[in-house]
Amino acid sequence: MSKPVYTGGIDVGSNFIKLVLVSYSAENPQILDKATEKIRKRDPSIVADEMLQALYKKHNISYDDIAYLASTGEGDLIKRKKGHFYGMTTHAKGGQFLCPGAKTIVDMGALYVRAIKVSEDARVQDYKMTGQCASGSGQFVENISRYLGLSLEEVGDVSLTSDDPEVSSGICAVLAETDVINMVSRGISTPNIIKGIHISIASRIIKLLSSLKAESPIMLTGGMALNKGMIQAIEEQLAETGKKFEIHTHADAIYAGAIGAALWGGFRYFKLSGKKEAVAN
Amino acid sequence: MNRLEQILAYCEKTAFDLHFTDAKKWKAASADRVLVGYLPIYFPREVVHAAHGLAVGIMGSGDRKQIIKGDAYYQSYICHLPRGVIEMGLDDNLQDFDGFVFPAICDCVRNLSGMFRITGNGKFSRYFDYPQNFQKHIGGDFYREEILKILDDVKQVNGVKPDKAALNKSIGLYNANRRLIERIYDIRQEYPWRLSAVETYHIIRAGLAITVEEHNSLLEEVVSIIENNERGEPMDNIRVVVTGSFCEQPPIGLIKSVEMAGCYIVDDDFMLGARWIQGDVDDTTDSPIDALVTAYLNQSTFSSAVYDVGNPKGKRLVELARQRKADGIIFSAASFCDPALLDRPEMQKECDAAGIPHINFQFHENTGQFKVIKEQAGTFSDSIKLWA
Repeated sequence: MSKPVYTGGIDVGSNFIKLVLVSYSAENPQILDKATEKIRKRDPSIVADEMLQALYKKHNISYDDIAYLASTGEGDLIKRKKGHFYGMTTHAKGGQFLCPGAKTIVDMGALYVRAIKVSEDARVQDYKMTGQCASGSGQFVENISRYLGLSLEEVGDVSLTSDDPEVSSGICAVLAETDVINMVSRGISTPNIIKGIHISIASRIIKLLSSLKAESPIMLTGGMALNKGMIQAIEEQLAETGKKFEIHTHADAIYAGAIGAALWGGFRYFKLSGKKEAVAN
Repeated sequence: MNRLEQILAYCEKTAFDLHFTDAKKWKAASADRVLVGYLPIYFPREVVHAAHGLAVGIMGSGDRKQIIKGDAYYQSYICHLPRGVIEMGLDDNLQDFDGFVFPAICDCVRNLSGMFRITGNGKFSRYFDYPQNFQKHIGGDFYREEILKILDDVKQVNGVKPDKAALNKSIGLYNANRRLIERIYDIRQEYPWRLSAVETYHIIRAGLAITVEEHNSLLEEVVSIIENNERGEPMDNIRVVVTGSFCEQPPIGLIKSVEMAGCYIVDDDFMLGARWIQGDVDDTTDSPIDALVTAYLNQSTFSSAVYDVGNPKGKRLVELARQRKADGIIFSAASFCDPALLDRPEMQKECDAAGIPHINFQFHENTGQFKVIKEQAGTFSDSIKLWA
């Protein structure tokens, strides 16, 4: 039996670093391992290096055993790697891996949301993204949840219990935070504040999808893709606008960028080595 | 810190020393030494060297000087370089310079030569025109006169008129300089990871502010180190030629961003003047000035500042990309740079005809945000790696 080919993908985000190890031992690539680490106030390159060393140790391998270690996101902080792919390229690939047939990928990251239209072979065809303001981002949700005394894990479930959401500014994070302070002093309940924020972000995402002329099915990726309250808000907003989109997410949605990087790394490895036709998935 | 790191640190410091400390120190060592500042692109530094002078490249203030007075001299719709240079002239950056040469690039630089006369910088301020007619008895004779005017200017300052031997010696030193720089580019073509584009930039730009003898010695060391030693690791990057940045220099962050986005810059026109003459200038002749003239007429590289009816620059760019085995071309011009921006469509047409992918963007020398450029370069790299 031939030795498996390993590729790695490391996605350096603004808040988290995501790492996956992919094996090509079977006909199709398999995710062998994955890890995520919050950066906090540490040097991202050191955090990434520690994650890689832990991965190597766990699987009793070294950097040289990885056929292609690819970075994405702020991956230029990774000191030793084989290549780097741009974030949209990797989310398109990773999104389609997690949701075969997806025609639109919505990457909901810490600092912005990107809607990406993809071809059948994961090629980016068009994209729209939120502007400079952080009010449409995961970082904003995190800030508000901290302000309201909630952990990130709680935010989604709390949002689902809302009965009368109070929508905040969807244009500016500073205004939105002021809105939230006013809501707290007006006695608006935490679930209704959180749901209001989710609705505000969801409405921005719907606008992105409209201007992109997005096609269904849509796959949500990135850190906010597992936030149940966020998903519900998107579905409700879509229903209100009469748009019929299939919305998908996946337990590994946060790893989409890293998965895409590892898969494109595999594609490049096979292409450059000429061992076999570059695999698309 | 190993020797290469020491050299790189020195070159980075010298390249961006807007007070030209080393050059001024060199001048202070002897009464007959002359400092001549020149602007991009090309200037035959050999003639100043032979007359006990040092021609110092003034490549702009980049992102290292706040422009306050400079903005009052120029309208908003011209490039950034002249604002920074006039600011340097009005401050004390260019004190101790004896004269300034403004090679013919565009109207903005021509105007700058006039402004330097008004502001009284240096003992002379010369607009240095280049022939656009490449026949020896027309353009050649004209260019010869231009060079002689510079020699006269320098002689007015220090009384030195270089003889044939001095001129030939200087030509020989600059021949060696160009050969060494070319050798670095050739090594980088094979092993671009051994010396980054930013490091290469620092090394070459430092050479515009120190003596050619010192620069040659540094270049020899660098060549020897990167030729014989592995440094860094190869990455799966695309190879690009960057063109259009021959006058106003891109900020270092831009060059870094292109590299970080997955592109090896295997050739560029950042310090084009230092590589202008292709091959050696005859340094064994009885008429060295004529040798410089002949080299300009027959051995000049291509540039948007030069008329090219017989040898279109688009074709030469394509030839360069092929010679460097580049996967693509990045057109990176300074905002409002008429020569580069007007040439761009013709050059892009040639790239399209040759099937060479290309992208383009614009910059100011003091641009501070590179996210969009990084995205463009990153998606360009991905599109070539994954879909070409």
